[in-house]
Amino acid sequence: MSASSLKRTQLLKIATSLVKTHGFTREALARSVLYLPNQKHVESKQDNEDCQPLSDTAVSSLFGFGDAARTTLIYAWLDEGINHMSNSSQPARNIFLGREPAFTWLSLQFDPLPALKHAHRIADEAAYLSMDTSRELAWYARRISLAGIYSAAELHQLTSPSTAHSFLDSLLTGSSSLEQKLDDVMLYSDYVYKSWKGILKSRGML
Amino acid sequence: MSLLCSGAIRQSATRKWASRTFIRCTSSYSDRDQKTTSFGFKTIPAHEKESMVKNVFDSVASNYDLMNDAMSLGVHRLWKDEFVSSLKPGRRGPMRCIDVAGGTGDIALRLLDFAREKYADRETSVEVVDINAQMLKEGHRRFKQTMYHNTPQVSFHEANAQELPVEKFIDNSYDLYTIAFGIRNCTSIPDVLKEAYRVLKPGATFACLEFNKVTNPLLGPIYDQYSFSVIPLLGTLLTGDRASYQYLVESIRKFPSQPEFAQMIRDAGFVTGKDIDGAAWNNLWGGVACIHTGVKV
Repeated sequence: MSASSLKRTQLLKIATSLVKTHGFTREALARSVLYLPNQKHVESKQDNEDCQPLSDTAVSSLFGFGDAARTTLIYAWLDEGINHMSNSSQPARNIFLGREPAFTWLSLQFDPLPALKHAHRIADEAAYLSMDTSRELAWYARRISLAGIYSAAELHQLTSPSTAHSFLDSLLTGSSSLEQKLDDVMLYSDYVYKSWKGILKSRGML
Repeated sequence: MSLLCSGAIRQSATRKWASRTFIRCTSSYSDRDQKTTSFGFKTIPAHEKESMVKNVFDSVASNYDLMNDAMSLGVHRLWKDEFVSSLKPGRRGPMRCIDVAGGTGDIALRLLDFAREKYADRETSVEVVDINAQMLKEGHRRFKQTMYHNTPQVSFHEANAQELPVEKFIDNSYDLYTIAFGIRNCTSIPDVLKEAYRVLKPGATFACLEFNKVTNPLLGPIYDQYSFSVIPLLGTLLTGDRASYQYLVESIRKFPSQPEFAQMIRDAGFVTGKDIDGAAWNNLWGGVACIHTGVKV
């Protein structure tokens, strides 16, 4: 990675830490340069020049014009969340629900694909961290159910942030018992089918 | 060193350029240490490029805008408008801008007008720098027709973009550096970029509008045909100077591609967006023109 790319990545990382105070705004990206451990900024301070945030032109040049810059920041924030999920000792669900404003922004775009992709990434990462050993159709079913639970919890958090964790817990519990119930139903249906097959065979209809 | 002259020696037919000659030569060098550069499709000693480019622009200065309109069918105005509006001068307060190779003042005027009309900014200033006195004279004449004449908002300086005088163009002093349709005429693009980096403040932006490689496979052949057939012919008909316009067309083809130029900008120390259209550069009309930007961080 070149020095230029490293600097850009560094600025983006600093900007994600400013999301709490400035939100997903170009302002957060502009102010990221103020926290850069950069020799030049130290020198300019010594020259009695005030350290200035990046201009709008500079933000557009580095991160994209208009909403593209905000989207870049959101994706950087979400990527950081997923890395944090992998490396942190905190329960994954705490990290899950910390990403709510980003999910909201992605959902409100005219294109729902970014939000769906993000939900799938979270589900895949969560399944991997929990050492899921499902195979074939169960693999997909597990991830689809996790993605659905995550999306529901994020949307629930919009209206009732205080109950979001308990809502997520109930969904996760419900999903595992639902899985158990579905397996039982499948088994019972299999028995019923075999029974009827046997009955029809004994009557000479099959 | 042996020098072979294969072309004809041309004499300009108009009253302005009757005494000027343009010699087209192909040359081969047995002295391998001599630094060479391109002049259109020709390779020439690097030290000769500056004077040859000067001759070209001395020749075209008085009809520069007419020729731009004829060559690009007026589209160059749209590109320049797009260039300036993407920079948003004045949005966050007065800016100190430097417009290099901006002799006729096209970009400078647009910067000042944009800041005034959009943000009621009458403090933004532009220093127009050009190596060619004739082009600066044209720019000065144009500005006399505007409200910026005799104000501190615009000034004109004759200087070499590769070696801006340090006493006049101090380190870390500008908020915006622009160069439009000029960098390809410089002998050493890295030197221009190095100077741009020097004079810009930390956090300031470098912006370059230049002709570039057409990426659209349908547009490419049409553009080539138009460039090499129509434009030199227009040069002959409108100004009587085919050779200068032939050079202008050839110099476009020799300019680095979009990713190559973005890398050169990074090599000078600037930080750019990703190496894709819409990030480190922004193609206009399929790459016929292109806006490259970089930030000094």
